[in-house]
Amino acid sequence: MYGGDEVSAIVIDLGSHTCKAGYAGEDAPKAVFPSVVGAIDQMDIDEADNGEKNSESAADAKNNDKPKGKRKLYVGSQSLGYRRDHMEVLSPLKDGIVADWDIVDNIWDHAFRECLLIDPKEHPMLLAEPSSNTQQQRERAAELMFEKYKAPALFLAKNAVLTSFASGRATSLVVDCGGGSTTVAPVHDGYVLQKGDLGQWFSCLHVTRLGCLYYTLLAVATSPIGGEFLTDCLMKSLESKGIVIKPRYSFRRKEIRPGEFQTVDLDFPNTTESYKLYSQRVIASDIKECVCRAPDTPYDDSAYSNIPMTPYELPDGQTIEIGADRFKIPDVLFNPSLVQTIPGIESFAEVAPSVRGLPQMVIESINKCDVDIRRELFSSILLAGGTASMQQLKERLEKDLLEESPQAARVKVLASGNATERRFSVWIGGSILASLGSFQQMWFSKSEYEEHGASYIQRKCP
Amino acid sequence: MDAKDILGLPKNSFPPLDKKSRPPKESHRKPDGISREVYALTGGLAPLMPALDPSQLKKKPPSDEKVAWQWLGITSSARKDNLHLYHWVRVVNGVPPTGDYSFAKYNKSVDITKYTNEEYEKYLTDPGWTKEETDQLFELCERFDLRFIVIADRFPSSRTVEELKERYYSVSRALLLARNPSSVDIASHPLVKEPYNISHDLERKRAMSLVLSQTRQQELRDEEVLAEAKRIAQSRISAKVSQESEMAVASNAGVEVTERTIPGETVSPLPSNAQHPSIPVSSSMSTENASTLASLRILRVYLRTYALEQMLQAASSSAGLRTIKRVEQTLQDLGVNLKPRVPTKSVCAEHLELRKEILTLLNLQKQLQYKEAEGLPFREGSYTETPGTPKHFHHGKQDRAFVPDPSFGGERTGKRDQKRKAPGRLSEAPSSPAQSKRPRKLKASDF
Repeated sequence: MYGGDEVSAIVIDLGSHTCKAGYAGEDAPKAVFPSVVGAIDQMDIDEADNGEKNSESAADAKNNDKPKGKRKLYVGSQSLGYRRDHMEVLSPLKDGIVADWDIVDNIWDHAFRECLLIDPKEHPMLLAEPSSNTQQQRERAAELMFEKYKAPALFLAKNAVLTSFASGRATSLVVDCGGGSTTVAPVHDGYVLQKGDLGQWFSCLHVTRLGCLYYTLLAVATSPIGGEFLTDCLMKSLESKGIVIKPRYSFRRKEIRPGEFQTVDLDFPNTTESYKLYSQRVIASDIKECVCRAPDTPYDDSAYSNIPMTPYELPDGQTIEIGADRFKIPDVLFNPSLVQTIPGIESFAEVAPSVRGLPQMVIESINKCDVDIRRELFSSILLAGGTASMQQLKERLEKDLLEESPQAARVKVLASGNATERRFSVWIGGSILASLGSFQQMWFSKSEYEEHGASYIQRKCP
Repeated sequence: MDAKDILGLPKNSFPPLDKKSRPPKESHRKPDGISREVYALTGGLAPLMPALDPSQLKKKPPSDEKVAWQWLGITSSARKDNLHLYHWVRVVNGVPPTGDYSFAKYNKSVDITKYTNEEYEKYLTDPGWTKEETDQLFELCERFDLRFIVIADRFPSSRTVEELKERYYSVSRALLLARNPSSVDIASHPLVKEPYNISHDLERKRAMSLVLSQTRQQELRDEEVLAEAKRIAQSRISAKVSQESEMAVASNAGVEVTERTIPGETVSPLPSNAQHPSIPVSSSMSTENASTLASLRILRVYLRTYALEQMLQAASSSAGLRTIKRVEQTLQDLGVNLKPRVPTKSVCAEHLELRKEILTLLNLQKQLQYKEAEGLPFREGSYTETPGTPKHFHHGKQDRAFVPDPSFGGERTGKRDQKRKAPGRLSEAPSSPAQSKRPRKLKASDF
């Protein structure tokens, strides 16, 4: 018979861009929301207007406002979509690893109590973690889950392994093009080979008012390029052409005559910079998803100077034309030095030399592994992540790899045809894993945690 | 199957006997309620019946069993702690199923031999390995079920996969031997019979990494270099052969001047692949002494034909066997011998040229045929006449054969060779057949 046995486990994947949560055994997560939160520092508005704060906290019972010390946090796309004075947009992750556990706590709480409507005490939890998580992070996650939420059992699985399982393979090379980073990790027999893991972490241009870059060296290569970075490139490129993206809250459209709209600008002086940037980014990423395509050959200004422009209508009514940027922005993945031609991202130029393109990363990662498995890795390269659902990315990557790889190796890049599956492949892998009958003996249970402590997780979840 | 499970139907309830008596009767009678034409659409047979007989479904499930699904706890022998997980269980008559969790049997692990400290001191010490490292190795082996690649990845100090394997296998082997010193059947144990050979493994991996770690550009360059080397080697061989013939000639004839020019000329055309020089050396040779001429010609003929064969092979290797046959057929039709009777340099060269041109001709004809076939539906009305019976040039493709002929005959009109007259004659022939073919000819030749 088939190998499934439902124990109603919950699978949570906290990514750098979105958080996905849902029941194991299903084929898509039920709760998908951004993994950034809005935070209002209580001290700021205390002086400003006490009365408003009180009425707000009473009225917004729906929002997950947890006044911990001085902060009130708003989680979820609905809460974030509503503009509030002095609300900063914060991310729990910095360079791919968790920096602020309080925010993570809130995110999980929101997922359990408001999205999935479950009691965590009754369900074993499967968490997806980055492929190069530290021991300390894992112990912290275990502590939080067992002490606060009192889950009966827990398992931490690496993203790359879950993606591999989602496609039915135990050995593969996983190229995860996510929001904040791009990771290339080889998986052999269900275990990630860490010495061959090349991470590219990047979280930038949001979060702080200064808008400076953060990046981290990991393993040998660094190439901090993810979906969010591409969005920022697009934004800067449009700005340099004089196109201003107005965030949604800053205007209102009135219908003066049937069919005709007039845009009225609204002014909210107390809106924070990070929130404005966040709203603009939402619009820019929509442009990117609709319009951008990976070029078939390396981008060249002269070749693409005459291509027809594609129109796109912004929410405030103005229509913009996007031409060469359509192909230039995705090519940054393959050729990071292109970033230097985009005005506004000068600070990236400092790290540009060490940053490599996607095909080089793949080949380097494979060459770090043992010779015996290289052929198998070459023939099963999996694409996953939100950025991977860009059109023509798979074909371009395959073409570039065929040029650079040795002839003896048959290069095959696989990606599921469905864009939703590519985005959620980590979550889907977790769903498959947690509903297998033979997985039930691998959970890290509460009694084991109490007996051996959090460090036992290293042994139980390899 | 699942549906039956849920409804609680017994699995083999459908009686096979009834089915057999029914089909012979049904094939002759049209069932009521279905029109004759529709029935005939299925070929006069009844449409495929579902596996379940509908009348069976109406029956109530056998009432002696009470089936329910309950959310019960799992007791699994695979887990040592008392974790309580729950799943849906099919409960019959209020009695939950007994026995271990059905997936517990998949909890397999590899047998790792364990050693005590005394055994370690006695048998297993090794200068390259400390006890802690060996202990760690064995622990990782057990955790990861002997997946050495993963073990090497997680091993704290950086040891290669081969070193780890060697240490593990040698320790296991030593333990095996130590524990069973005199037993005979140990000798057939795989650990004892075929010990792990680290040098062999290293060599194998090195070779494999050489193959797999070259980039595409390097491989292309390697190929180019190899091809170049091959060409040079071949030219050297043929130069050597011609030099040997030259030595024989020089010893026979007393003529030095032309002899010395010969090596230069024989060597150069051969590597340049049958591009014939315009110097008619053969005519000068005919003025020499008869005796030297005979021996020379023998040697030269041998050389020429051999070289010609080689070049023919090179040229025809790109075409298939059938094409070669057709080329030869064409040559025969033209009245040309398959091998030139007087194989002097220019003759041979001309022969090769002819063969090449025939090959080109055949290819063009084939392409023309394909294009015609493609364009045929569009130009159906334009072919009012069927081709007449002009000379059979080739297997029925008369009108197309004339297309390249004007160019064919035109290039070679300067030459006086006998075999050239054959195509030349044919090029005049088409003027007589139907004139209406001309427009078609031009059209076809435009492609």
